[in-house]
This record gives sequence, C-alpha cells and structure tokens, in this order.
Amino acid sequence: MSLEMAAESSEGEEEGKLSGGNQVLIVDEDLRELGKKAAWSVSSCKTGNGVSSLRDDNLETYWQSDGAQPHFVNIQFQKKVRLQLVVLYVDFKLDESYTPSKISIRAGDGFHNLKEIKAVELVKPTGWLYLSLSGLDPRETFVNTFMLQIAVLSNHLNGRDTHVRQIKVYGPRPNPIPQQPFQFTSTEFITYSTIR
Amino acid sequence: MAQSRYLFAISCFQMNLLNEAEATLCPANEPSAEVPNGSAGHYLLGLIYRYTDRKKNAVHHFKMALSMDPLMWAAYEELCILGSAEEAVAFFGEAAALCIQKQYLNFSTSPKLHSSTEDCNLVDTRHCVSEDASPRQSKLMQGLKDISGNHHGAPVLGGTSGQPINSGLSNISFYNTPAPTMTQLSGVAPPLCRNVQPNGSNMSTQSAENSPRSTVNSTIQARRKFVDEGKLRKISGRLFSDSPRRSSRLSGDASVNANPNTTAVSGNGTNYSSKHLGGSKPSSRAFRSVTVRKGQPWANENIDEGNHNDILDDSLLNITSTTSTSSSTMEAKSYEQEAANIPVGGQVLSSSKVITGASEILTLLRVLGEAFRLACLYRCQDALETYQKLPHKHYNTGWVLSQVGKMYYEFDYLEADRAFGLARQMTPYNLEGMDVYSTVLYHLKEDMKLSYLAQELIQTDRLAPQSWCAMGNCYSLQKDHETALKNFQRAVQLNPRFAYAHTLCGHEYVALEDFENGIKCYQSALRVDERHYNAWYGLGMVYLRQEKFEFSEHHFQMAFQINPQSSVILSYLGTALHALKRSEEALVVMEKAILADKKNPVPMYQKANILMSLEKFDEALEVLEELKEYAPREISVYALMGRIYKRRNMHERAMLHYGIALDLKPSATDAAAIKAAIEKLHVPDEMDDNL
Repeated sequence: MSLEMAAESSEGEEEGKLSGGNQVLIVDEDLRELGKKAAWSVSSCKTGNGVSSLRDDNLETYWQSDGAQPHFVNIQFQKKVRLQLVVLYVDFKLDESYTPSKISIRAGDGFHNLKEIKAVELVKPTGWLYLSLSGLDPRETFVNTFMLQIAVLSNHLNGRDTHVRQIKVYGPRPNPIPQQPFQFTSTEFITYSTIR
Repeated sequence: MAQSRYLFAISCFQMNLLNEAEATLCPANEPSAEVPNGSAGHYLLGLIYRYTDRKKNAVHHFKMALSMDPLMWAAYEELCILGSAEEAVAFFGEAAALCIQKQYLNFSTSPKLHSSTEDCNLVDTRHCVSEDASPRQSKLMQGLKDISGNHHGAPVLGGTSGQPINSGLSNISFYNTPAPTMTQLSGVAPPLCRNVQPNGSNMSTQSAENSPRSTVNSTIQARRKFVDEGKLRKISGRLFSDSPRRSSRLSGDASVNANPNTTAVSGNGTNYSSKHLGGSKPSSRAFRSVTVRKGQPWANENIDEGNHNDILDDSLLNITSTTSTSSSTMEAKSYEQEAANIPVGGQVLSSSKVITGASEILTLLRVLGEAFRLACLYRCQDALETYQKLPHKHYNTGWVLSQVGKMYYEFDYLEADRAFGLARQMTPYNLEGMDVYSTVLYHLKEDMKLSYLAQELIQTDRLAPQSWCAMGNCYSLQKDHETALKNFQRAVQLNPRFAYAHTLCGHEYVALEDFENGIKCYQSALRVDERHYNAWYGLGMVYLRQEKFEFSEHHFQMAFQINPQSSVILSYLGTALHALKRSEEALVVMEKAILADKKNPVPMYQKANILMSLEKFDEALEVLEELKEYAPREISVYALMGRIYKRRNMHERAMLHYGIALDLKPSATDAAAIKAAIEKLHVPDEMDDNL
C-alpha cells in the first residue's frame, strides 16, 4: 500500500519526526476524500489567506494564521465518519519560519471532548505529508468521529504564524453494494452485482 | 383544414406543447370530429396521451392507428413499450391483409386514376420525404393543389381516362428526368415518415428508429434541389392540362428506405435515390410500408386525410406502375416487371398482387412484431427464438441484431457483445440500441472497446443521446463519476424523452453519494417510461442503502414485475426481504434467483448469508463450498466462511479461511475487519458479530 510506503519513507512511528515529503499525491484506490462533506474552519486567518485556500487544490495559495499559538484547523462532519489518513502540503523552502513544526491531531464529538490521536514533529518538510490515523491494532484502522482538529503547536525557527497550503482527509470507500458484509472482488461477482 | 391541423399538431408536439397539440387533434368543441390524417393522427394523439400519462387513451389510439393502417409499425412499437400489445397475429393477420387490399382496390376503381402519371412520379419521388415541412414543400403542395383544383375541380389527379395518360407520357418525356423511384404508399396517409436516406445496403427490416440527424440534414439538401425542380414543373404544368402532380404527397409518403434500418417491408425495390433496394422481398406491389420514426413524427405535410390522398396514392401507384413500363427513365426494379402487367390505363389493379404483397409484408411483420412484443415483456428466450425464425437476410440486419443484443444483455453479456458487434458491422451508423451496447461493454469492463465505440458514435452524430450515454459510460468505468454525470446530463438535454439517460444520471449521482438527486433522476426516468425497470431497480438500491427497507422492497417488486427473469433483481429483492426480517420469503426468492441464472453467484452468496443469520450453518457452508469452486478468488466467500466457522467454534478452519482471505488482498475496510476477526477468534462469541 502506498500508505505504508509513504510512512516508511518519511518517518518512524507516531511520535517520530517527519521530514521530506512527497511531491506527488498518491492515495490508495480504496480511500476517498471526505473533505467535501465537512465544515472547515480555522482559529484565525489573515485577510486573503483564509480557510478556502486550504481546500482549493491550488498549491500556490495558503492559509496564514493571525494570532497566538496554537493555531487550529477544525473539520466538522454532520455524522460520524471513518477516517484513515490526513495529508498536508507544507513547504519549508517557500515558507521557512511559517512552516509548522509540531502538529497534533485531535478527534472527538465537538470542541468539548477532543482527544489527541496523533502527534508529529516535522523537520524541514517540502511536499505532501501523509499522517496515518491508524493504530497498531487492526480494530483501530479507522477513527470514527464527528470532528477532527489539526493543531499547529509551533513553527520552524519559532515563527508565530503558520502557512499551510493544502489539507486533505481520507476515509475508506463504502461497499458499493449495500447490506453486504464484505466487498466483492472477483469479476464473476462484480459483473452480477449490479444492473446499470 | 384537416391537413393544417395535423401539421400544427406536429409542430406543437415537436415544441413540447402537448396541450395545444391535443386540442388541435381533438378539438374540445367537436367531440365527434374525426382525427385528421387518419392513422398518423391517431398515432400522434397516442404519443401525446402517452407523454401526458393517460395510458388507456394512448393504447386506444395506437390500436386505432393500426386498424386504419396495419402497416404502421411505430404504433405497434409504442403499444409494446406500454406493455399493452396483444399478440402480433392479431394486428398483422388476415384482417390486416384484407384491409390493405381494400385500400388499394378502392383506389383502383376510381376513375381519377390514370391521369397524368407523369411527373407526379418523377417529381414526387424526387421530393421524397421532406417531412420537415420545408416551407417550399408546403407551398409547392398548395400550389399543386390549386392547380389541380383549377384544372380539374377534382383533387389531384383529375383528367379523364386515357387522355391524361397520354399527355402525361408526353409530360414525362418533356421532363426527362430520371425517375428515381416509384414511391408507393400504403393507402392511408403515411404518417410520420422518417427522413430517410437512401440506403443501399441493409434494408430488410423495418425499423422505426431514429435515423441520425446528420443524415436528415443531407437529405434535406437533396430534397431542396428537387423542390426547385418541382417548382419548375409546377409552372410548366400549368401549361398542360394535367397539372403536375402533387409531388409533395408522394415524397412524403416515400419515406422509406432511406432509413438505414428499414427496408420497406415489402421488399420494395424502390428506393428513391434510385438505389436498388436489394435484399428486400420482391413484392408485386412494391409498396413500401411507411416507416415511422418513433417519437419524432415528421408529418408529411401533404397528407390530407381522407380519400383525396388515398385516391391519389392509389392512382400514383398505378401511375407509377404504368409509367415504369412506359418510361425508360424509370429505374427498372423488380416490380416494374410486374407493373408491366398492368394495362397502361392503370385501371386494373391486380387485386391478387395486392393480396400477395400484403400478406408477405404481414408475415414478416408478424414475426418481427411478436418478437418485439416478447422483448418488451422481457421474455428473452422466447423473443430470441422468435427472431431466429426470420430468414437470414432479415436476421442479419442492424435493427434485428440490435434487438437480439438487447435480449442477450439481460442475461449473457458476451453474447450480447457479439450480437451488437455484428449489428455495428451491418449498419455502422445506426444509433439505436448503442446505449445498451455501451452498458454491455461497461459490465464486461472493456474500456478500449467502450471508448472506441463512444468516439465513433460521437462522430456519427453529436446530437444523439445514445452517443453521450456511451461517452458517459466510458468515464464511469474509469470511476470519473463527475464527468460521466456531465455527459449523461447532456444526453438528457438532447432528448428529455430518452428514459435511459435519466437512469444513468441517477446511477452517477448515487455513485457520488448524492441520493436526493439520484432519486429525482430515477423518478424522471419513470415518468418517461413506466416500464423502465432499471429505474425501479435504481430506486430500490438507493433505499436499500438508506436502510429504508420497505421502500426498497416495494421498488424491487415493481422491477421484478416488469422483468421477472432477472436474477439480479431477484437477489436484491431477497436481500431487502431479509433486511425486513422476512427471511423465509427471502430464501424462496433467492432460490428463484439462483434458478433464473445459474451463472450468477451473488444469490447463492446471499443465500448463504441468510442461512447464517438463521443459524443454519451447515447448509450455509455447503453453499459456500460450491461458490468456492465457482469463484476461487472471491474474498467475501472465504471471509464469510471464516465467520461461520468461528460461530461453530471450529477455530482452525476459521483461521485458515481468514488467512486465505487476507492473502487475496482485500480492501482496507475488509482487511481491517478480517484482522480484527482473527484477533477475536479465541474470544467467546459476541452476539453482534459486526466487524
């Protein structure tokens, strides 16, 4: 799985340091982006560099915070969703002291009960960073939650504000056939599984 | 005037002003008025009722149309689509033959006949179709009528017996134009003719499909030229006692073969563009059945209702036969030899010839009609058998092969692919049924063939909904649902009465998880065609996903009633029943599904699922063992077996199967589920084993 590969190439495990970063965004086929179904908000922003720049598929535009640390990006869903992967695009070469250095990912039902599920430290990253939300236990492959919060705790070179260029959130694709315990994989089954 | 009422009604219909169209054809203040244009009018009225949801009236009018003109295939098609057709024999039987005969014989006794054969043929044939109410045509028609009126006080033909013919003959030589064909019409006003293009090759079956619009344009060009000639004729005609014929009429009726898919049933040799209509059955009469275009009625503006036309037609018929003998400019066709039998005066229409011709056509129509009816009822095997009864030259034509393909689509995609492939070889420019072909290729996951098909179709006709459906299927196969949706929406725009385009839009919305819009699309599809079972199925699936099991079951039931032989529908019906906790019924339905198609593994798998939930573990395992043989790489089979073994506390076997399942590389969700299950293997059974 490219997920694992990405993890190996850039870091150790959860508490480890992440450096480098992929130039190309490659995600597994059975994951799909869930950001469109969520409400995105940020703790603060500079005019013209707001939250929409995080979701515009444009790496030239970025979100710039405008206040005290920590800075938050809040992602709220209407119903509980299963999330597996968070991908960020940050670039030390362009942003230098604005590049995040410590990031914490929290999940919960709302602002009142967020709990940290992942913490990473970045070292001069340039490109797409894959942050897997899976635990070691296979039962923890997904995080089933209403809300995700990405907190930027500190920046490189002790910068106050931060730049993040793009964020994407991924979860598993649901079974195209409803009411089925497992997905069909062989051609024989798939051909007969739907009428078009 | 009746003729203009019909024209007006057609125009309203084209612009989707169904109320006005209906009011014109059936004026509210004249409840007993006859519908203008005879069978064509009834057909149009039937269409209007169909699209305004008054099914009974629609059926009534289609039947009327067929009784007035038994050769109106389009009306029969509509009946089949509405699911109300009786057996083909009823419509295309002896009575029909007699009816046709009567129509022709009536004409032969009228003195008006002979008359100036002349130009009418020449002129008319040239004009051909031109349904598209080109203004010139109507003017021409008017002009001609006036002329004839002036000269003879009788519509059209005028002239008395022998003399006109002579003058006619001289007229012919005066014009000296190669008469493309003799158009013969079925006695009653030919209803909606499709704009037809001369087509040399595949004629033989009749079809009422839409001819690609691009061809229409080219034919219009051709027609315009003829119209000019016609005008010339008209003017010079004034100088003669016999007015030039109403070309319009003939042209209108001609319609015919131009259509790539049709062949005038009666093996007519006549094809306007003077192409010899090859394979068709030679018929003594060589009359063409009027082919009608479904859903796009193009009226023949000439068509007058009533006897005028009939008389004209008939006389034309005679005339053409006579002129054929006399005029060397006429193309010789098979019928011409027979025409030679008819005395120049055209007085004696050999009634036996009419009957033979009529019965030949009707025999063919009976077979085609019966097959089509069975196809609409989704009795696939019967329909296929009926199509097999056709002689080779008729079977190997685009239309028939497409229909065969559609039947195979219901249960055997490979055969369907083959049939459609052949159809494309025969008639590469036919678009009807190509949307189904693209779905077949989608199911077979043949992305190369599918994209090639889509490209070809778009090149053939950018304005046909089928081309965009194929394109959309192409994108959908590559999981680009948004682009696919755009393509399907384009198809809908091009023809909102094309039910399948709506259904495909619905499928794409569902794939994008936009269930509301998906439901709306499926419902639009059903509004167009209530018997479009794919839309019922789509709705059932949406409700199944939303866990509204009662709705889901209802919709699958509706789909099942329309298409009782589809194993997929049955298996989902069973799933819905199982979700409603009616597991016994579910099992019965699953058995039916398994019987319906032995090659479909899904109902067996579902059966195992249901058995497991009913705790009949051994039976479930049996079924799954069978499935293992059939689909050895299907992960869900192993995973389910693992689960069952766990419930039976046979841990090693469970472990084995989970292991195999994992080796086959399941999706992330399933992998997680299976791994979790492995961890829990030695933990005592929890009630809800939802991994």
